[in-house]
Amino acid sequence: MKNKNPKPQHTKSNESTIHFKGTFIAVMLLGVIMVASWFGVYALFLSR
Amino acid sequence: MNLHKYEKIWLIFGIGSLAVFLAVIGFAAFWKGTHPQSHIETIDPQNVEAHEAFKPENLGLREVADGKYTVNIIASAFNYDLGKDENGNRVDTIRVPRGSTVLFQVTTPDVVHGFQIAGTNVNMMVEPGHISRYETVMKNNGEFTIVCNEYCGIGHHLMFGKVEVYD
Repeated sequence: MKNKNPKPQHTKSNESTIHFKGTFIAVMLLGVIMVASWFGVYALFLSR
Repeated sequence: MNLHKYEKIWLIFGIGSLAVFLAVIGFAAFWKGTHPQSHIETIDPQNVEAHEAFKPENLGLREVADGKYTVNIIASAFNYDLGKDENGNRVDTIRVPRGSTVLFQVTTPDVVHGFQIAGTNVNMMVEPGHISRYETVMKNNGEFTIVCNEYCGIGHHLMFGKVEVYD
């Protein structure tokens, strides 16, 4: 029997409604921590 | 190509950090003179005394110019040979005034050792057959322990020395 109401297919317009804000904040936080800790260690190297 | 706005920001951040780190490498190498400690200079590990710097009378601290010092060291299991004082006793402390430029030259006749002056940037590997060099300015005064940070055998933990920087 054919499904009269098939599930909507994933389309481009659907994807753009997914919220990435949390993902973005998480990766940016990680990136900032990495860069900041690197410069912290480099500052220690220069001060010694 | 359709990129999400956040993805664009992340890519700019990533490529930007790459550019910053490349600039830091240039700054370190050309401005600060940071280079690898081993200069691929070889030495016969069976006969390190044949080298001018590692003759028994040349070991330890020597003032080569005003405020410039050279320290020649033979690292062997499980000791750093810092030379002998005028009474013929074994030296275990290198004493230099603050702000002096010190060149450490280290080699080993036996196995791989480490040479780290804890609390300073002097940290290098000492390999048999090679001469490791590190020139540094002793900016801070205090007592710094020289430690072997490459496991070299049963007495590895007994291998240490001292650098004292005074005003």
